[in-house]
Amino acid sequence: MAARSVFRSLWTSFAGLKLESRGTNLSSLRTISIEGQILEVPVGAQPPNPTAKCPIYRWNLQNKYNYTDVLLLSQFIRSDGGMLPRRVTGLCPEEHRKIAICVQMAHRAGLLPDHKPKLPEDHVPKRPKPKLNRYLTRWSIDSVKPIYKTGLKWCKKRMPVGHPILKNNVRYGVKPLYIKH
Amino acid sequence: MSSFSRSAQQWATFARSWFLIDARMQPPGKIATMCSIRLQGKHKPIYHALSDCGDHVVVINSKHIAFSGNKWEQKVYSSHTGYPGGFKQVTAAQLHHKDPKAIVRLAVYGMLPRNLHRRTMMQRLHIFPEDELPYDIQANLTEELPQPREIPKKLSEYTREEIDAFPRLWTPPEDYKMK
Repeated sequence: MAARSVFRSLWTSFAGLKLESRGTNLSSLRTISIEGQILEVPVGAQPPNPTAKCPIYRWNLQNKYNYTDVLLLSQFIRSDGGMLPRRVTGLCPEEHRKIAICVQMAHRAGLLPDHKPKLPEDHVPKRPKPKLNRYLTRWSIDSVKPIYKTGLKWCKKRMPVGHPILKNNVRYGVKPLYIKH
Repeated sequence: MSSFSRSAQQWATFARSWFLIDARMQPPGKIATMCSIRLQGKHKPIYHALSDCGDHVVVINSKHIAFSGNKWEQKVYSSHTGYPGGFKQVTAAQLHHKDPKAIVRLAVYGMLPRNLHRRTMMQRLHIFPEDELPYDIQANLTEELPQPREIPKKLSEYTREEIDAFPRLWTPPEDYKMK
């Protein structure tokens, strides 16, 4: 298989700028030109199942990844932390959802510190938020209400941990997966 | 140990050891079970409830514990002052902000047996919010216990070689503007 070239940047264009200087009547034209190069990326390892459509199925990683596998998850996210669209990555809908949920959990656990959204320079946070360590958070932090009345044992309001979409993951121990704590 | 004399062996078996547990990025419940087992003395084959065989446990970095799920917002710690209108309910996040030692302390308290030995066992539990220990406690420590939860690596902690060794699962189409 020939080496697939990766097109790093798309910008090969002139951006003409007109500068009006106050004193003189001259308008100096400043052109900015950005050149993109098609880089040759060397061929890596071959997938064990090349005929499958979804990349996860091609590499036989169906039920084997978790929120901790950041090296895998970082291949499907943008630099500001958002997921890439399914039509570009080629993931099947279930795996795309699973990866999105794992990426969400990894963000909330603080495992992707460099993929934060870019804030404008003069952004001042209103009050310093306490940095609490967490992991396997299913719901967004601001959307959850405290459980003031947990109820009796037969009708207890449980606190969910992890996500049920990952219930088919491979488990190498005897203990079952506890979703409701 | 066969090389010990009888009196030395007796002294070594019934001595009270000091354990150290680092609670950084660990769930407080798992830390609390490890503490309660060692405070009661249940890790010793010579255990008996009346024989006061519990050990000391020192927990450090209790300010940096990690709750799974959304428990920081959902878990509620309730108490009543005894006076009417004195029912107070605080979330785990608020309680941790007020007192970083409270969550671990309450977890261990709830896991110890409900008898009069519980208070003495709690006196043998020493919790510190950060790394610093007073010198006399540091001098007493005998063993450090392994952490119950494996801390996952952040993306910034992986080396360049490890990131490059991981294969690219998919190649982007030629005309797509990446990121």
